[in-house]
Amino acid sequence: MKAIVIVTLFVGLAALGRAQQPPAGNPPRTQGGRGGGGFGFGGPQFDQAAVDRGQQIFVAQCGFCHGSNATGGQSGPDLIRSVMVMGDEGGQQLGEFLKVGRPDKGMPKFDLSQQQITDIATFLHQRIAAAANRGGYKILNILVGDAKAGEAFFNGAGKCNTCHSVTGDLKGIGAKYDPVTLQGRIVMPRGRGGFGPGRGRGMGEPQRSLPTVTVTLPSGESFSGVPVRITDFDVTLRDASGVLRSFTRDGDTPKVEVKDPLQAHVDMLAKWKDSDIHNLTAYLVTLK
Amino acid sequence: MKIKKYLLTSGFALLFVPFALFGQGPLDPSLLLKPATDAWPTYHGDYSGRHYSPLKQINASNVKGLTLAWIYRANLSPTGAIIGGEGPESALAGGAGNEFGGPSIKAMPLMVNGVLYFAMPDHAYAVDARTGRQIWHYVWKTRGGIHIGNRGMGMYGNWLFFETPDNYVVSLDARTGKERWHKLIADVKQEYFSTPAPLVIRNHVIIGMGGDSLDVPGWLESRDPETGEIQWKWYTTPRKGEPGFETWPDEYSAAHGGGMPWQPPTYDPELNLLYVPTGNPNPVMAGQSRNGDNLWTASIVALNPDTGKMVWYFQCSPHDTHDWDATQVPVLFDGQVNGQPRKLLAQACRNGFFFVLDRTNGKNLLSRPFIESLNWHKGVDAKGQPIRDPEKDPQIAGVLVSPSSDGATNWPAPSFNPDTGLFYVGTSQSYAMFYLTDTDPHPQGYGAAERGVGGLGSYLRAIDYQTGKVVWKHSTLGGAQGLLSTAGGLLFGSDGAGNFVAYDPMSGKPLWHAGLTANPSNAPETYLLDGRQYVVVGAGDSLYAFVLQQ
Repeated sequence: MKAIVIVTLFVGLAALGRAQQPPAGNPPRTQGGRGGGGFGFGGPQFDQAAVDRGQQIFVAQCGFCHGSNATGGQSGPDLIRSVMVMGDEGGQQLGEFLKVGRPDKGMPKFDLSQQQITDIATFLHQRIAAAANRGGYKILNILVGDAKAGEAFFNGAGKCNTCHSVTGDLKGIGAKYDPVTLQGRIVMPRGRGGFGPGRGRGMGEPQRSLPTVTVTLPSGESFSGVPVRITDFDVTLRDASGVLRSFTRDGDTPKVEVKDPLQAHVDMLAKWKDSDIHNLTAYLVTLK
Repeated sequence: MKIKKYLLTSGFALLFVPFALFGQGPLDPSLLLKPATDAWPTYHGDYSGRHYSPLKQINASNVKGLTLAWIYRANLSPTGAIIGGEGPESALAGGAGNEFGGPSIKAMPLMVNGVLYFAMPDHAYAVDARTGRQIWHYVWKTRGGIHIGNRGMGMYGNWLFFETPDNYVVSLDARTGKERWHKLIADVKQEYFSTPAPLVIRNHVIIGMGGDSLDVPGWLESRDPETGEIQWKWYTTPRKGEPGFETWPDEYSAAHGGGMPWQPPTYDPELNLLYVPTGNPNPVMAGQSRNGDNLWTASIVALNPDTGKMVWYFQCSPHDTHDWDATQVPVLFDGQVNGQPRKLLAQACRNGFFFVLDRTNGKNLLSRPFIESLNWHKGVDAKGQPIRDPEKDPQIAGVLVSPSSDGATNWPAPSFNPDTGLFYVGTSQSYAMFYLTDTDPHPQGYGAAERGVGGLGSYLRAIDYQTGKVVWKHSTLGGAQGLLSTAGGLLFGSDGAGNFVAYDPMSGKPLWHAGLTANPSNAPETYLLDGRQYVVVGAGDSLYAFVLQQ
């Protein structure tokens, strides 16, 4: 069974038994009603010009109290979490509210045109959808590491240089990938992309450095290729000519061996210090 | 298993008009108080959540003769169905979860008097448990919401209850599928969506909901089975003045603190305690606006089901920052601890810890990691609660954490087998980089991004509840999985690759399997009908029933 242990790292059938969340990268939903902007689906689409106009009006008229990004300010509440705003339909409820204000709480009424109200509403709904759409969050500048320390790790404790060379396979790697992708690939060059568990988008790369499975029949005849599926009961591989071959299994017959060229990366998973990852990323981005 | 052939046969059979409601009848409430044998009257089969059946007609010596009885492929067409719901007509064209890889039966169907009742998002069904033929089909016109799953129904007499993605609880007449009423639980515009199977305790229909994309409050509520009116609500975070409030910086953060109870609770009738597993706090991964333990998120909470008042709590993940809700099944059984008989509650938590509690008072008896890759904690405190390593909170530059937010396990039901004393659970040793993306003092929603970076394998594991030690593990391709063990010396589960498998509960060795059209999507169930033991499992859009060859 040892072979299967390794195989779990790259055969991705995860969807069914998994968490209460979807695979990444799906198109936005178009279903009637609202909600569903979460889960990385992108949620509803907005007229960007209206969002921009709305933002301008909002910052000028509302930002002083509610903050320029609508998440609350000196005296006004966070409107991204406002039940009234979330329940608003195209500015209708918001417009009615603004005509009156909330004088008892120091919120004056606002004399705005219908267009202005609609634009503010579009801006606020876009902000709410952006908060809910975790698939659209932008990762910030992750380059906090020490490139020198990263270089020392590469050639020393990390033993990266036993397989890799900065003048060979990694030449120009810093120009090839953005830092987030690069950092992900340092940890696991296959990324996720259907290669086992872990939420979040994979590295978006074609399948490379794939493992090899060798099936040896009792007769001694053997077949090698990329594993497609390895279970307790069957093995399927794609051989060098592209042919799919499957075998049934009965315990240890036939013999099944898996070799993973990325085994060193797998073995590193439990050993990494985050600072080493950050330093190594800082070093490799310099390899332009 | 010649599944294809059977699929063809069942396709032809659909030409016949479903009829004959023989055997249908109300649920005898006493069935809820004992391990199910000739019924499966609630999501977990009984109140305990053990997923253990005393049936042994199918057993280790004859399981090789287990064969297909029927397949029911869920009908998604509104044609001929009973239609309800508040959404537009156009909603009828939607599927039950197409954006999640297609329709998937995550319910454990109720089986009462020869009829199976289950739901998928926007769809509810009655199916003849003897033949696998549809009796009725109900379709809900949705107003939207996340259609990721539905865990099925609760039943009270002839009344059925299920929840919808746009947060209604709908009551149907089990005899006809006709709607009795529907009631709004929560607002879909606030990103709530509802997946749990309602749990019926006497005249209480216990209902929870999910949704953590925005920072909204969570609660559990009880409704009257006749009228649908609310009997009580219990909020998953404290209001000002309540105990636990000191674990939040202020009223505002507590009121927006999430903690969605999106799994059916379990229940001890003798203690009259309802065990509620709660969800992760909000904002989900950016914790800077909610310093403190954030009670009662990511906790197991015992409530009085008549009043909704809390009796005790145990927090599985104080101040969680990785979306590790504690909504895994709180499994109830009686056992021995240090030679003393104890009433126990055990949970294999999404954060990777196996917990054993005294379920009379919530006192922790054991806390131990059940995967080897766990790297986010610094031991446990005096109360048995894990101490998180703040350096593994999401950071701008990224931190490598195991497990990923998918967790060491997840919602699919584990199994406790009193014959072996082992707790069975599907596990994953995933890794992910967690990046803080929202550095505002008041972040919104998740506030962080995650990138999966592989893992160290998935296993079906057997845990000794007295020591927390993993007695055996068997490699699978699936991580979390629904399980059922039986007095017949069998552990039913899956391999994550589309095989429905009967394992030896002592060793994890596969004894029997059948390749289905999809991997089983929740735990199997079993019952006796006309003297024959059935094993039924949902996989993708189909229910499969197996019996011994005669």
